[in-house]
Amino acid sequence: MAEKERECCSEKRKEKEEKEDIEELREVLSVVSKEVPALIKGIIGSIFSEEAGRDMGRAAAAFYKELKEAGLPEDVAVRMTEGYISAFTSLGEVLKQAVGGKKGVESKELEKEISRRIKEKLVEKGLAEKEEGENEED
Amino acid sequence: MKLRSIISIILQATRLLLILLVLWLSFDWKVRKARKAFEKELLEAGMAKKDAKKLSAWFSKLEKEIKQAVKTTIFAQR
Repeated sequence: MAEKERECCSEKRKEKEEKEDIEELREVLSVVSKEVPALIKGIIGSIFSEEAGRDMGRAAAAFYKELKEAGLPEDVAVRMTEGYISAFTSLGEVLKQAVGGKKGVESKELEKEISRRIKEKLVEKGLAEKEEGENEED
Repeated sequence: MKLRSIISIILQATRLLLILLVLWLSFDWKVRKARKAFEKELLEAGMAKKDAKKLSAWFSKLEKEIKQAVKTTIFAQR
């Protein structure tokens, strides 16, 4: 009799844990599905948008104009402007490395930051409190 | 309750994948827009069209590299 009760209790506990896991996954996914696209959109938009292109073009054009006004020949001015643009290229390299997942300290820091933000969102939704309560029980 | 959560998880995951797919597909268009705007500014400054195109090729190059990096990351994790 006692054995049956114990079995029943452990089954119920298992079921409860399963339910909580699913609920937690649902919460995490809801946060991730909102935050990750916004993050990616922001990163892409900072370089690949009409406005960003116009701003970069304006900066390069001003540089080119100055060189021309200073009396430099066309080919030299273009080459120097190309060099000036390479400053943006290094920015692009950073982006490429971030997207490409250059393993190392940077990616670990990024992981930490993402998990911190997810935890923050979970705290907002009161899920973390629940987790803490469970830990204390254990 | 459990079924509702599972359905919600499937919906959230589908939503996330769809958004990522749209972002991936709109990437080309965004690059083209940025490139055009960049070229326009250079042409207005008096640069030759050929040179402006040469300088703006950086956008396409970076786009290709980023796409390649994403693909490599996805396949490396499999």
